[in-house]
Amino acid sequence: MSYVGEKTLTALPSLLSLDSQPGPAKLSSTSKLGNLIRGITELTSKHEEEKLIQRELESIKEQVSSPNTSMMKELMVRAIYCESLGYEASFVYIHAIKLAQQGTALEKRVGYLAVSLFLNESHELLLLLVNTVLKDLQSTNLIEVCMALTVVSQIFPKEMIPAILPLVEEKLNHPKEIIRRKAVLALYKFYLIAPNQVQHIHNKFRKALCDKDPGVMTASLHIYLQMIQENPEGYKDLTGSFVNILKQVVGGKLPIDFNYHSVPAPWLQIHLLRILSFLGKNDLRTSELIYEVLDESLRRAEMNRNITYAILYECVKCIYTIHPKSNLLEKAAKCIGNFVLSPDINLKYLGMISRKHLTLYVINTSE
Amino acid sequence: MIKAILMFNNHGKPRLSKFYEHYTKDTEQQIIRETFHLVSKRDENVCNFLEGGMLIGGSDYKLIYRHYATLYFVFCVDSSESELGILDLIQVFVETLDKCFENVCELDLIFHVDKVHNILAEMVMGGMVLETNMNEIITQVDAQNKMEKSEAGIAGAPARAVSAVKNMKLPEMPRNINIGDINIKVPNLPSFK
Repeated sequence: MSYVGEKTLTALPSLLSLDSQPGPAKLSSTSKLGNLIRGITELTSKHEEEKLIQRELESIKEQVSSPNTSMMKELMVRAIYCESLGYEASFVYIHAIKLAQQGTALEKRVGYLAVSLFLNESHELLLLLVNTVLKDLQSTNLIEVCMALTVVSQIFPKEMIPAILPLVEEKLNHPKEIIRRKAVLALYKFYLIAPNQVQHIHNKFRKALCDKDPGVMTASLHIYLQMIQENPEGYKDLTGSFVNILKQVVGGKLPIDFNYHSVPAPWLQIHLLRILSFLGKNDLRTSELIYEVLDESLRRAEMNRNITYAILYECVKCIYTIHPKSNLLEKAAKCIGNFVLSPDINLKYLGMISRKHLTLYVINTSE
Repeated sequence: MIKAILMFNNHGKPRLSKFYEHYTKDTEQQIIRETFHLVSKRDENVCNFLEGGMLIGGSDYKLIYRHYATLYFVFCVDSSESELGILDLIQVFVETLDKCFENVCELDLIFHVDKVHNILAEMVMGGMVLETNMNEIITQVDAQNKMEKSEAGIAGAPARAVSAVKNMKLPEMPRNINIGDINIKVPNLPSFK
């Protein structure tokens, strides 16, 4: 990618000269952010950088308290930049929340972004945001709902979860696929931080697993992977469903959009293989359901791409975790051999790691 | 689960840092510095996976990185993520940035850090991978941009009114209007000299 270096070098003169034409993708050099960044890059010592940033923060502080809100978005981006370099700009937090509350779509987006970067779950100012999020979740505007769901999954105070739970739950039935998907992930986040509050909606997760849209189904797998890891016994009855889904994916039944470099939904396959390996561990009956589809996945993943190697690696791990079957074990051993001998250094590493699984398996079965 | 996504240049200057778990400001900066230290020492022909440093949670966490020209993209993940899968995810992210910014370079990412964050938010939500298809991510980002543009144009109008106008059913315009053969006599105009 040397053209990247070239592009950077050719862009610099036009950026630094004062009579440059502001192009669509480049800020004019007279913009405040441009000046700030140019200033930082010219400095050589940390001490000078500190001084410049402090001056910048002082000027932002002044402008932020003025009643003129049109500059707020730009001020917020500059504050984000300063914070990302490690300097405290806490006076700006309350304005970020206000921006998310009152602004137009663009300002709201920057406000929400600033809030998710500046604050954390236990920050006291976060309670002020809860009302805004509640309002946006009920908005008819889909983009606002999406923004609210994104913020909810990033930072949300634990105590306020009961207030927002019913609204997020109802989004599980929303006609738009992206909103259902985001709602599933938001609920998963709630499950991680406050598991006892989310117990009653497990059957809603099952509905998400059978959703007609594969995107929503994929999102629900995150939850199932976690729950099955904690308690495999409780979900053995779902083994058949997971095997079916994997069969359909590997057989190419998904829409063509889900193909990544002509491999059908690789990340989805990887997830399913992990789930199946937890379900089949130490359990002959369940493992027997899995053997066929495992064989099929191994066979189909024969192409020489990074991502198919990922699938092969997951298959190998699965074969060694579940109840053993001799012909699958042979194929897995051959696979590991290919990895270790491969010229690709990443594959060699994974081959070495797999040999650890192989050794553990040999030790366990010889006892 | 993805714990953090970091992007810094060859000198260790952070270009993007997104943490999906809470750390104090100082710890975040320390993590960035430590990660840069670990990653910049790596040779070009070693593998792209590293054990995470002490700060990020110890042995269960891996750093998966890719080096593109002047930028390092580092994903800090736990054992529930597939290493090669994350490598390809980084590739998807970079390709998406390339599509959204048209031949992206480091300067684009510096000046439009909020846009980069928005693209990342469509890909990874709350530490979970939300979408892996580049075209889907771009569709979502474009929808947001379109909405912002339309709101700026009709500033203050409620979103419902805007969408109502868009969905309004206009009567069908006749496509082929047949006037028939009209003999229009063209007068003989004198030519210009």
